[in-house]
Amino acid sequence: MNKISLVFRKKDCMGCHACEVACKQEHALGVGPRLVRVLEKSSDFIPIYCHHCAKAPCKEACPVEAISRNEQGIVLIDDDLCIGCRECLQACPFGAMQFEDHQEIAVKCDLCVHRLAESKSPACMSVCPTGCIRFGSKKNVAAVFEMTTPEGE
Amino acid sequence: MSEVEHVKTVCRSCHGGCGVIAHVQDGQVIKVEGDPDSPISHGSMCTKGLAITQLAYHPDRILYPMKKTGGNWERITWNEALDTVSAKFKKVIAEFGPESIIVGQGTGRDFESHFSRFGNLLGTPNMLTAGHMCYLSRIGATLTTCGRHPAIDYANNPKCIVMWACNPLWTNPDEYKGVSFWRAYEKGAKLIVIDPRKGFLAKRADLWLQLRPGTDAALALGFFHVIIEEKLYDADFVANYIHGWEAFVDRIKTDYSLERVAEITWVKPNLIRQAARLYANTKPAGIHWGVPTEQTINCTDFTRTAVGLMAVTGNLDAPGGNVFHEPPGTRKISEFSANQALSDAQRKKRLGGDQYKLASRMTIVTPKCAWDAILTGKPYPVKAGYLIATNPVVSRANAQEVYNALKQLDFLAVSDFFLTPTAELADIFLPAGTWLEQDHVSENWKYHGYVLARQKVVEIGECWQDHKIFMELGKRMGQQWWDTIEDSLDWLLEPTGLSWEEFKQKGYLHGEQKFYKYKENGFSTPTRKVELYSTIFEKWSRDPLPKYTEIPESPVSRPDLAEKYPYILNAGLRTPTFFHSANRQIPWLREIRPDPIVEIHPATAEKHGICEGDWVWIESPRGRAKEKAKLNDGIDPRVIVAEHGWWYPEVRDADHGWDLSNINLLTDNSHESMDPVMGATNLRVLLCKVYRCEDE
Repeated sequence: MNKISLVFRKKDCMGCHACEVACKQEHALGVGPRLVRVLEKSSDFIPIYCHHCAKAPCKEACPVEAISRNEQGIVLIDDDLCIGCRECLQACPFGAMQFEDHQEIAVKCDLCVHRLAESKSPACMSVCPTGCIRFGSKKNVAAVFEMTTPEGE
Repeated sequence: MSEVEHVKTVCRSCHGGCGVIAHVQDGQVIKVEGDPDSPISHGSMCTKGLAITQLAYHPDRILYPMKKTGGNWERITWNEALDTVSAKFKKVIAEFGPESIIVGQGTGRDFESHFSRFGNLLGTPNMLTAGHMCYLSRIGATLTTCGRHPAIDYANNPKCIVMWACNPLWTNPDEYKGVSFWRAYEKGAKLIVIDPRKGFLAKRADLWLQLRPGTDAALALGFFHVIIEEKLYDADFVANYIHGWEAFVDRIKTDYSLERVAEITWVKPNLIRQAARLYANTKPAGIHWGVPTEQTINCTDFTRTAVGLMAVTGNLDAPGGNVFHEPPGTRKISEFSANQALSDAQRKKRLGGDQYKLASRMTIVTPKCAWDAILTGKPYPVKAGYLIATNPVVSRANAQEVYNALKQLDFLAVSDFFLTPTAELADIFLPAGTWLEQDHVSENWKYHGYVLARQKVVEIGECWQDHKIFMELGKRMGQQWWDTIEDSLDWLLEPTGLSWEEFKQKGYLHGEQKFYKYKENGFSTPTRKVELYSTIFEKWSRDPLPKYTEIPESPVSRPDLAEKYPYILNAGLRTPTFFHSANRQIPWLREIRPDPIVEIHPATAEKHGICEGDWVWIESPRGRAKEKAKLNDGIDPRVIVAEHGWWYPEVRDADHGWDLSNINLLTDNSHESMDPVMGATNLRVLLCKVYRCEDE
């Protein structure tokens, strides 16, 4: 099976933040952890998100092996194993790892595995009006954009 | 836990219209998602709609009627609330007449038909909306120029899109939604963006015209200069369907040389020429415009000129241009509103009606006239009010005057979700339902040819949908209404042959789209032509030809004032998370936008020792507001751009910080600053200075 990941085409991100709220709703998250986030700098928008790295620094940094990759290549945290040490937050080069203050555990993008299982796209992608968020084969992410247009869904 | 049920409905977190699938479990909405079958939103939803569960189930939401006794709010029954309001209104009517009651709403919330019916049957001509400077001014200006509002026709793929002071990807989703624009753009349409800020669209544009805020009408006249000089117009259309072409051409030649327009607008002549050529030579081409063009003294003149551009280039009612969508066949709002029920004698009493003829024709008053009457008792006293879904102490120009006026009323009833700063001034609070809590034939007031079924998903507390509040209050005032909401919707739908139940199953109706309808019947104007020279304005003794009027408070018109207030304040910057004064208490949204933002060019900021993230005061001759500095090199160093709509629900005092970051403490609502026929208030362009808050 192809390893899959999430990709934002930055030039098409117009800073509407719909992905953020859709993600919060999907994962029932309150204020605090932002599994996907769009920063605004002058007139630019910079999406911050988990790249589900092939050699994931968060996974490597975790002292208790709470972070794993599933067979699709999705990097996941096991809530029960996480000890809340925040090593993964330090390790992530993208700033994508987040912390949930109430449970005192790290949280991250799970690429909406439960939605993928129902053949639905991740919540963030499902609401993006410009279609700048895609997921798909890691090997050729550019091709994902070539192959799928918003109308084609 | 019971199974999750999926209910289709329609969002109204802004003006609304996007299709929604609500997930309901155990009588509670647990999630919403976009409805891919929606003919206008195609499954997309924005932050505001997606956050509806946090609004509907917010701990601060008021779920039952209340009265204020001794300065404290106390829970009462609907019966007591409605009896109190109707008794007070009857007393005012007996002593002063119905015109001494104002009925006010804010931005379009899809209850216009009920709002107007209530006011008309009450007998008051004094209905306040945002329409004097928003959608209704657009309807009014287009009505007088070409008979109907011409909306851009994204469905038929414009090859050139002029995005004029508008970002439909974030906001302003009247008619088509952002996703429709994006689809048309992605098919390769040329894009001309007219915006004082370099935003996402400006960066993508083929041509970006960074104009001086408030000079849109001059720029549109500049487009005409090029189109006339280079004969880029459709000569047949002009000969057959334009009224007053020679007089208009004379005015352009005399008053609007390209150099003159460039001087007014700050846009280089060559760029105006390129843009006018691109628009006029690409077929079809559509103009999508936003409220910044309308919230100044040039409100109607801009819209009239823009309609003129659509007309002479042959894009009016042409597929992919700007089209007159056919209504879907339901009863019209004017019929539901019982406009005929308001007597001529009462109409004549409309505050400012003699002065603002177009507003009067659209059956509204510009709020300034109401505030004046409340505060001075002239031309007659205004004693009581009912405000629904509006927060004018934050959203209307010259906020301090608005606050003073509302405080002065003998009796005020307010409907809302929360105790806003405006609601806190009321005597009676009536709890309104959100869009999840209402049955309605939605979008009947727009010009895209659709109506969509917004069906009730849940009931929360004792909240009533706005329509029911008008209906039950109206009945208590002796007005003729229907027994139930469903009965009223059946009546609204009657001409379509569908009942509300049947319509709900169907989901939406769409009027049959035809083009070039004027070829059969002409345009719905007195001359049956597009009136570049308005016979209606002429009758009103107003300038029949569109023109640019210098903004009354600008470095050009008031160089004396500009010495003390050297910057042009471009107020009313939109965000993707808030809708005017709404949503500041929604955790997901406030996390994204925690503070009011004022954008300052880095060079200007440096001059005043302001760094990114500093709290600064923005001050005009009328007042000041505190916002957080964001440096933006995509604006002109002479311009400061500030968000509007700010109050602080987390401030628990009754004023909820309405006077801290409220940009409308700075804006002007003097008669001299308003559009002469529509009474559009200038919410957008004024003079200001900016300096660091030293106490932060």
